[in-house]
Amino acid sequence: MAARLLSFTYFHILHSRNITLLEDFLNHFGYIDTQMNESMLVKKAQAGDFDAFVKLVDGYKGRIFALGRKMTGNEQDAEDIVQETLLKAIDNIDQFRGDAAFGSWLYAIALNQARQFLGKQKHVDLKPIEEYLPSRNADDMHDAHALFDWKDPHSLLESEELRKIIDDAISELPVKYREAFLLRYFEELSVKEVAAIIEESEAATKSRILRARLALRDKLTSVFEVRYGKELPGLH
Amino acid sequence: MGKSCRDYIKGLSDYLDGEVEPELCAEIEKHIGECQNCRIMIDSLRQTVTLCRDGRSERLPESLENKLSSLLKDRWNKKFPKEK
Repeated sequence: MAARLLSFTYFHILHSRNITLLEDFLNHFGYIDTQMNESMLVKKAQAGDFDAFVKLVDGYKGRIFALGRKMTGNEQDAEDIVQETLLKAIDNIDQFRGDAAFGSWLYAIALNQARQFLGKQKHVDLKPIEEYLPSRNADDMHDAHALFDWKDPHSLLESEELRKIIDDAISELPVKYREAFLLRYFEELSVKEVAAIIEESEAATKSRILRARLALRDKLTSVFEVRYGKELPGLH
Repeated sequence: MGKSCRDYIKGLSDYLDGEVEPELCAEIEKHIGECQNCRIMIDSLRQTVTLCRDGRSERLPESLENKLSSLLKDRWNKKFPKEK
């Protein structure tokens, strides 16, 4: 009986198109999930509700700032990226159709802003994946060239220095690899989400992310080899 | 002739992200146990991601937070002017 009454109330409110009432009703009975909440906030924001917009972007501001800082290597640029992204989001809020998650839409705007800050950086392309990999045959147990073992970089380098080494290595990646890598592993988005944001196929996105990761590994290996060598002669 | 290291590492991305079939996962892990270079490669690729995430802060500087609230409100009022 109670369930029928609830169901009747739900459809009555739904029919009335009173979004606030519907949201309160669903919230009250615990029927609302994040995605649903987000789409309701979008509808309210598109109808001119500033508080809904603020709620909508609240969880993304800091993440966009962190992404901007990693992308540009500069805190001031990251601040400008957050600011410009949110202003653009206001200007275009009525253009958001909900085909992708709101966060993906916002990240796409943020990346465009970051690309503008980075300008037309000239970078040589990364090597194909195969060229980063060890070449030894699995049956041949004699290593022609043993790879350098990182062990634990934290135990050998100061945190501040390590952070700088990492940020420098990221900033050397060509922009299209840098953004794919950061969206996947820094923002922890799925390959599907990253692909939607950078407008590439999932296969191409996966390959781009792996090449970025391999290139970073290569770069860090060469830095660690030199730094470890100075810290602990004969370690390798 | 057995598989080369490169054959195993073709599925590297999925393996590192924990998205390979259990059978292939076991095969790769067996190989890593026997091949020092592949172990070093996979270990350092894992560290590449954890090092990049280290010290990640998502807090906005207070000055930006303060500036944003009035800036956004102004832009919003232009986008949605209140009818008088």
